[in-house]
Parts: sequence; C-alpha cells; structure tokens
Amino acid sequence: MEMKFTGEFKVDQTRDKVFAILSDPEQFAPMLPTFHSLEMKDERTALLRVKVGIGKIRGTASTELVLDEAEAPLRARYIGQGKVMQGAYKMISSFELEESGDGTLVKWQGETQLVGKILSLAGGGMQGYAEKEINKLISSLQNALSKNPQKTESKAKADGWLARILRKSDAGESTEAINDSSPAESIISAGLAGLTEDQLARRTENQSKISKILSAKRSEKRLPRKEDMRLIRGQGLFTDDFHPAGMLHMVCVRSPYAHAKIVSIDVSAAEALPGVVCTLTGTEVKAQSNAFTQLGPEPSALIEDYCLAVDVARYQGDPVVAVIAESAQLATDAAQLVEIDYETLPVVVDCREAMEAKTVLHEQVGSNYTWQGEYEYGEVDKAFDEAKHVVKIDDLKFHRYGSTALECTAVVATWNQLDELDLFCNAIMAVPIAMIGPALNLSSDKIRLRTHDIGGAFGNKISVYPFMALAALASKKAGGAPVKWLETRSEHMMSGGHGSERNFFDTEVALDKEGVITAIRSTHVDDCGAYPRYEPLACVIWAQVMPATYKLRNMKIDMRQVVTNKSPTAPNRGYSRLPHLWFMERIIDVCGHELGIPADEIRLRNYIKEFPYTTPNGCVYDSGDLPTMLQKAKDLVGWDEWKKKQEEARKEGRYIGIGIGTTLDSGTNNFGQSQIINPFLPFTGQSQASTAKLDLDGTVNIAVGSFPQGQGHETTSAQVAAEVLGIDTDFINVKTGFDTERNTNTGTGGTYASQFAVTGLSAVHGAAVKLRDEMKKLAAFSLEANEDDLEFGVGEMGPEIRVAGSPDKNINFWALSNLVNYNTAALPEELRDLHCNVRHVYVAPFQTVDKEKKYGNLTLTYAMQLHIAVIEINKETAQTKILDYGIVDDCGTVINHMIVEGQSHGGAGHGIAAALLETMPHDKDGNVICGSFTDYAPITINNMPELKYENMESPSPFSYNGAKGMGEGGGAPLLSISAAVQDALYGDGFIVQNSHHSPMFLYEQLKNYKDSPISVETR
Amino acid sequence: MSDAKETIEVEITVNGKSVRREVEPRLLLVEFIRENLQLTGTHVGCDTSYCGACTIILNGEAIKSCTLLAVQADGGEVLTVEGLEQDGQLHPLQQAFSECHGLQCGYCTPGMLMSSLALLAENPDPSVKDIRKRLAGNVCRCTGYQNIIKSVQSAAKALQEG
Ligand code: FES
Ligand code: FES
Repeated sequence: MEMKFTGEFKVDQTRDKVFAILSDPEQFAPMLPTFHSLEMKDERTALLRVKVGIGKIRGTASTELVLDEAEAPLRARYIGQGKVMQGAYKMISSFELEESGDGTLVKWQGETQLVGKILSLAGGGMQGYAEKEINKLISSLQNALSKNPQKTESKAKADGWLARILRKSDAGESTEAINDSSPAESIISAGLAGLTEDQLARRTENQSKISKILSAKRSEKRLPRKEDMRLIRGQGLFTDDFHPAGMLHMVCVRSPYAHAKIVSIDVSAAEALPGVVCTLTGTEVKAQSNAFTQLGPEPSALIEDYCLAVDVARYQGDPVVAVIAESAQLATDAAQLVEIDYETLPVVVDCREAMEAKTVLHEQVGSNYTWQGEYEYGEVDKAFDEAKHVVKIDDLKFHRYGSTALECTAVVATWNQLDELDLFCNAIMAVPIAMIGPALNLSSDKIRLRTHDIGGAFGNKISVYPFMALAALASKKAGGAPVKWLETRSEHMMSGGHGSERNFFDTEVALDKEGVITAIRSTHVDDCGAYPRYEPLACVIWAQVMPATYKLRNMKIDMRQVVTNKSPTAPNRGYSRLPHLWFMERIIDVCGHELGIPADEIRLRNYIKEFPYTTPNGCVYDSGDLPTMLQKAKDLVGWDEWKKKQEEARKEGRYIGIGIGTTLDSGTNNFGQSQIINPFLPFTGQSQASTAKLDLDGTVNIAVGSFPQGQGHETTSAQVAAEVLGIDTDFINVKTGFDTERNTNTGTGGTYASQFAVTGLSAVHGAAVKLRDEMKKLAAFSLEANEDDLEFGVGEMGPEIRVAGSPDKNINFWALSNLVNYNTAALPEELRDLHCNVRHVYVAPFQTVDKEKKYGNLTLTYAMQLHIAVIEINKETAQTKILDYGIVDDCGTVINHMIVEGQSHGGAGHGIAAALLETMPHDKDGNVICGSFTDYAPITINNMPELKYENMESPSPFSYNGAKGMGEGGGAPLLSISAAVQDALYGDGFIVQNSHHSPMFLYEQLKNYKDSPISVETR
Repeated sequence: MSDAKETIEVEITVNGKSVRREVEPRLLLVEFIRENLQLTGTHVGCDTSYCGACTIILNGEAIKSCTLLAVQADGGEVLTVEGLEQDGQLHPLQQAFSECHGLQCGYCTPGMLMSSLALLAENPDPSVKDIRKRLAGNVCRCTGYQNIIKSVQSAAKALQEG
C-alpha cells in the first residue's frame, strides 16, 4: 500500500532559517508526531525510536531517518524506513522552499509505503491514520518554523490526554500544537475538559439512563444452568484470566512466508531489551525436545514436527522464534527486534500440485502424501454394469474455513525445577499429554493438565499442543517461572486451526430406474496443511458416515491426504464427516436434478428406513425416522407454499431455491478406527471416567473427565446424579473443567466427537449409582433397616435417606459422610471398605475393527438433523438471502431440551456462516487472505436468520439413557444451502461444485461457469 | 536508544469506585481493566475492533474497550459486567440471558450484556430489528444468536414490568 500527501504552508521566517531547521535531522526528527527518542549515527542519519499505535498494533519501532537530499536553501528530502510488528514501512518527506514576501513558502510532499501484515491488522484505517499523522507533523513544523511559536493551544487541549501522550521527553519544546487529529479522539473524550455543551448534555443523559436501568428491581430466581452463575457475572476463569505470581509472557515471531529456508536468526537486540527474559529458536528446541509423534504410518511418520520451525518455515505463520518477557507488551516489542533472514522456496497451495510433488514439503517422506488407501465395499463394478443411469461429476470441493471460537488458544505453562509441568490451558482433550510427554521426555504423571472455563473450541483447540510444549520449554528456560502464551486473533486466523479442504475427483454414481443409488466410486483428497498434527485421522473419520443416510451398499473411495504450504489444519465442528455428508448430499441433489426427481422424493427413495442398520463398512446406525423428519421439516417451513412462491418468483425473473440437508452426527468414536490409518497405533474403543464423592459436609461432588466449552456439562451431570440420588441438582456440585489430578483421565477423555451425552453422562451415572449403593448400605446399618425399604429425599436437615413410610427414621447426607470420614471406628468391619468416594469408568461397547477389510463399528450413536433452507439469490450481485430456515433434530432421548436446542442453533450458525460468509482462501504464494476477524467477517446477529426448530426423539438402544451425542451435527446448513443454491440456479444449468457461496465467490463462479461438470449415461 | 517509559496518571471511576493508576500511554482501556484492575469479566476476542467481547459502558455509552487507550478514559465513568449485580443480586438482564440460554461458553456474554444494557437504557422496547442493529458489533460463536435476541426481549419485558 502506498499513500501520498502534498500541501504547502507559509511561515514568517527567512528561507535560510527554515532550511537550517529542516535540513538538520536532529531538529527535524523530534517534530515527528510519534517521536520517542533519537541517536545520531552521522551528520545525515538519525536512529529514531518512534511510537506506533493503531488498533492493537502498538509499541515502539526503530527507524533510520536519512537526510538524503539537501540543497541550501532550496530543498531537503528525508527517507525513513523501519519495521513495525508484522510489517515494514518507508516514508519519504520532501520540502521545497520558496521566498514569499518576508517569509517562506514551504511546499511539502509526504509518501508512505507499507507492506505486510500491518495493513490488515490496522483494519483498513491506515489511510485516515496516516493522513492525520502527516497533518500533525505539518502543524508541528509550522509551529517550529514560525517566529512566535505557539506555546500551547487552549488549556483544555494542552492538558488533554492526547497532549500528554505526545508530550516530548525534553519538556519546553514547542511542539505541543495538537489538534484533534487522533484516530480515536473523535470517538470519545472521557474527561470533562474539552467537551462541548451538547456532548456534556448527551453524556449526562446517557449516564442517567444507565443509572436508571441499573436500579431496576431484582428478584432471585434460580438459573437453569449451573455454569451461568459465574459466567453471567464475569466470574468465569478463562485461561487469560489466570495470572500466577511471577508470570512471564511469550510471543512468537512467525514466518511471513509460506515456504522459506531460515538462513539466519539474530535475537541479540531482542534479548538486550530490558524486561526480556530469554528467547527460543528452532535449533534450541530441537536440541531440547523430540519431534512430536506422528499418527500416520511410514513414510509420513518420518515427518519431523517440532514446536518451532527448524531450518525451514513451511506455512505463513510458522513460529520461528519465541520471545519471553515480563509483559506481553514487552515481548511484542522485543519480537520486532528479532532479525530473521529467509530464502523463499517454491510454494505448494493446491492439492493437485501437492500430488504432482514437484515441490516436496518434507523431503524424507518422498512425496506430499500423508496417507493413501482404498475403501471398497459390496460389488461396485457389478452395480455399475447393471445401472440404469450413470451420473459422472468431475470436481467437487469442500472449502477451508475455521469454526473459530471467540476465545483464542492460550496456555500458562510452568515447568518447575522438580521437573513437574503444569499446563493451565484451554485444551479440549487429554491428547496433549500423549503428545507433549514424549516430546519433552516427561512421564505422564509429571504433567498436570487442567482447564477451567473455555470460550468455545469446536474442535480447533485439539491441535495446539506444539504451542503448549513451546510454552513449557520457555518456562524451563526461564528458570521455572509460569509462562503464558496467548494467541492473538490475527495469529489464530492466520494459522490457529482451519478445517481441512476436501477435494472430490472423478465421482461416478450408479442408479437404478427408480433413481435409487446403487453404487458410488470416487477419489477424495484432503489438504491438511503443512504438518499432519491430528491427521491423517480424517482419512478414516469420514467412514463413520460412509453411505450418509442412504441405503446404497456398494462404494469405492480412493482416499488420500496431502500436505501443502498452508497452516496445519485442525478438527472443526463436524470434522471429516461433514465434508463427506456434503459430498453425499451433492450427489443426491445432482442426480435428482439430472433425472428430474424432486429433492424430497429422491431422498425418500434412498433413505435408510430400518434401524438399527449396519452400513456396508460395519457401522451400526442406532435409530431414527428420516421420512418423519423430512415431513416435519417441510411443515416447519411450509414447503408447498414455498414451491408455489418459487414458481411465481421465477416468472418474475427471481431466483428462489429450496434445499434439504440431512446429516448424521456420529458420536462416541471407537478409537480402533485409527488402526485403519496406522495398524501400529495402540488405540481401540472409547472410555470416560467420573468420580462421585460425598464430601465432608454432605455435599455430593462430581467430577468428570470432559473438557466443556459451553455445552453445559455441569448442569447435565448434576441432573443425572440428582436423579440417581433422588435429590435436587442444587445439592450436587460439579467440578468445573478438567484436571488430571482429579483422577478422571482415561487417556481418550475429552470433549470431541459428540460424545458427552453418552460417555460423560454414562460415567456420571455409573459413579452416582455406586455412591448411592454405598450410601444405602451405610444408611441401612445406621437406621437398622433393610436396604430395600430405604428411599432418598430431602428432609428438614437437607438431603437424607429415610425408611419409606417412616419419615422420622432418617439419616442426612452429612451424618452419612461423618460415618465414613470422622467416625470410622463406629463402623462394623464389613462396612469399612465403604468411603463414599467412588470412581466409575464407562467403557463403550466396542469391538476392535478389521484393519484389513476396514470394517467395524466406528461410532456408537448417530444423531440426525434435517434442515431445509429457502433462499433467494440476486443473480446480478450473487447475494444470497435466507428467506426461511427449518431444523428438525433427533438426538435420541433428550437430557436437557434447552441445551440441545442451543447446540442446534449454534451448529446452524456455524454452517450458515461457512456456506455464506466464512472462508479461508490463500493466494498462490500461500498468503492468508483473511488474516483478521475484519477480513474473515464471522457471522453476526445481522446475518443470522430466524431458525424454526423442532425436536423428535428416537432413543438409542446403545446408551443407558437413550441419548445420543449431538454437538457437531448442525453443519447441515452447508448441505441445505448448497442444495438450495443449486435448486435456485439449476434452471440456468448451474451445478454447485463448491461448499462456499459468499457473493464474491458465487459471482466469480457464475461468471466463469462454462460447461456442466455432469454427464449422465442412461441405458 | 532511550528505554525510559513514560507513564501518565489516570483517574477513572470503575463500577462506582474511583481508581487512580500510573499507566503507560499505550495501555489499552481493556488492558487497564483486565490487568491493572483484575476485572477479568471483560474479555478480548479480536484485535481489529470487530468482536465486541470487550464492550463496557463508558460515560453512559457502550464502547469497545480494546479500541480506546486507558488515558482516553481519564476522568470518565466505567461500568463493566462486574458492576451489573447489586448486593449479590443479578440484574434482570443477566437473569434473562441465563433463562433464555443466551450464553453457552460465556465468553461473549459480558460484552453482549453491556451492549444490551446500553440498548435497553435507550430503547426500553426494542424490536428484533433494533436488537440486531445494536448487537451487530458483538460476535458470539456458540449460540447462533437466536437465544440472545430472546434474552434481550425477555429482559425488556421484565424491566418494563418492573
Ligand atoms: S476485543 Fe474489542 S472488539 Fe474484539
Ligand atoms: S456463548 Fe460462546 S461466544 Fe457467545
């Protein structure tokens, strides 16, 4: 970006005097509005520190200011250049002096060039900001060059905040001529000084309105969720809120290039900055830790992944140096002083290029593949031979986007001198222990991993263990001080865990004469970015929903995954299944349109109707009723009405589309599927642990090994335990977050794969039952009663166990707890094994899978969602508007309707966002295009349509409570909106090939659309 | 190169209490609130003034505290989420957000509450359109916003019924 400004002004000094001031860097530099300090290198060169501050970019930057031209007394020219956080700038100021009466006319020209990330960080406000800065400089100059410099403007202004910020270190200089030119000053001026009467009146009025609303009457009502009591009051404890004494801060210097050799690193200037504790580079990290374990088989297992880039940076945002300082601001300042020389390398951003392997990212692997394998079931060739229709689809693509929680990734790592590592973080599964332990040579019992409140995760936070390990190494190097690493939003958008892209090549679909799909064959290629991290698991996870909701038995998928010079991907809500379901729904809609079968009808002909249903690859769909869901969804939006309106609109040249999306939310995964990827991985099944304890005062305490991020686990756990113990949820405490010290970690524990309603609640249920049984035994002894005659309830002294029918014979929970804690000698020998402190591990009823045949039950439950989107597309602008939206959700028995509906809304929000707004494209050099929230434009309340929602319950036969996990299922809008877009435009021959439909994207697609990617052969 | 750090004294009334601190000129208001005052209910979700997680009330208006410097609030009156409850009793708006399930992870919630408070202070009976307009600068990644609209409507009703 380049900005130029010109102007002129007159001063009452002679030309010689003006020239003398302007041509002396020592006099000129302090007039720069952001001047901080200066040191003269030689007569013509000043080394300056300037303050920079736009939006969140702030700090001081160094500039070399050179008087590059000076011709007395006619002209002078300065060139200043330097670096600011994630960018560089060059500034040229030149002056021409003309005599004018007894004064001088100064004609000036200012030019600023900016490159790098600073532009997107500054959020587009650069031009205005630069203009204001230049104005400030000019008014300083005018002031300094005049004979009677104005000492101060009005009192209010000189004392205003801006004046103080800009007050120069050597007081008495006459450069305080400040006008209202700060980028923010116009927004607000908090102090009373300087406010106009109108502003003052408005402020008083606003304040009195706020006071009035604050004084509203309050009533004490019970809150429906346990976690709300702290969250609604701002009393949550998110990772960034954790602030142990002596804590240091880590900031990463990241590669601006997508692929580059790191030639040299100079951290000396950064380390010399007071307050900087140490730095870390890739070489050091390599010497002090092991490369992370790779999940993929050889040769992709040979990939070397450390927590900092070693020798080569492989994506834009690859961390190269870590700077550790006393404050985050200092660390950021110091990071700017790190000098890194890069030599750029050829960049691979496209999966086809990656497959060609002209450039190989990880040489030792020999190709860019992390995984390749074939999934084949049934008699595919035979089905194609016997088909009535064969539909071929060239190319489909599921785009890259990020589910992107509002809280960025963070960790506070403390590696003390006893070699114990404490990680207070917002990780969402226990996997980091398995990854970090071997990398840092720490045994798992030396690692404490704990979370408290987590500001959303949606899968993204699974893959951030390298940064946790890096913070740990930083803490070790800093002598054991806690080190906080907090990802900035821009870092997150650049590389904090986008979902993988998936490309579908050469798809062929066989159908019978009724339009029933009999077989599919296709090649699918995932692009997982530069390092596999949680990958290549996506190469099997999709198979949980292989035939989607359809009854075809013959399928052959050539599945592959490649690395490219983009940031490593992470699981995103709907991980790997969602792209596959999108693909299957595309097939249904394409076939429907091509064969002239309506979208609802072709689904009804193809839906699986009998449950439990075993898929061709051995997964068991537990329960459901798809035709009823479809009917309910049609009723929700008024399908027939919309069909009529669509026809009428079409006559007026308007494009309305109606699309159906059917999803499966496969929950509780069988880790055995990982062996399909790599037979040597020692994982199968799934388990979850919970503890239940009758505490000293009779409170029931529950802990469970999940990592909740808003799903209300405390509330539902309390519901389950309260039901078992016959008391109110108010008497149950559920521990917040996860902590390895609570003995609830089974290794695979975590909050992912839509499983809590099954694994978590089954574990809580099991623990509560064990506790109940112990309590009953103790009560029977104490009340001299028969266990069978006892019941739980709440009496005058709180929760109690009593003899049914004789309420006077009771013992309350406190007294029971007393028996096993303070009063153990009173217990008979045979009861001394009871402690009312129990643990239960729920082990999901899985078998190992057949690795060769790639066959087995990969997930326990299958929640379903059926969405219908009604949209209108403006064909001129390619703008899509949602006119109506219906969701029918079936996740088995519902434990908490409010939470389930909330999850459906949230998932729908993500899906609509991904379909219409959110995408993470890269340019051909691997630059991230949407590197900030402002560019990415996450969905807001304004773009979110009203959702019509209905729930139905088909209990799962496989969970004790009939429930199914459901948190990820909502990706359905990607399906329904793609379907609706095609429905709207198919009349004009348009086939939807990409899952993203933002106006800019759709506009390009429509403009460049040539031939249909479809061919149909009917025999 | 000079490393001398300049600081400036500010005096701000926060949740009714006057506080006085020496701050670096570049300190953001949100950093002042979170780090200097340890009022960590106000959150940070972005670095481009987009998300509104940092919204507070300054001098009667909802503002994004990541977009102002602490020194700009000098002499001002700040209200943060921690100032909503009184004597341990929740404000009807807080109550409504919980009852309507207008929060999941709770990270956006303090900002949502403050923006909603400013909206309701000005417009006690907002339409859905008014709500959408005033909350468009507050991002929530969890709820899909539907229950946030409901929460604000329900709070408006509760406040009107007194
Ligand atoms: S943190 Fe202030 S708007 Fe995002
Ligand atoms: S509740 Fe999580 S971001 Fe709004």
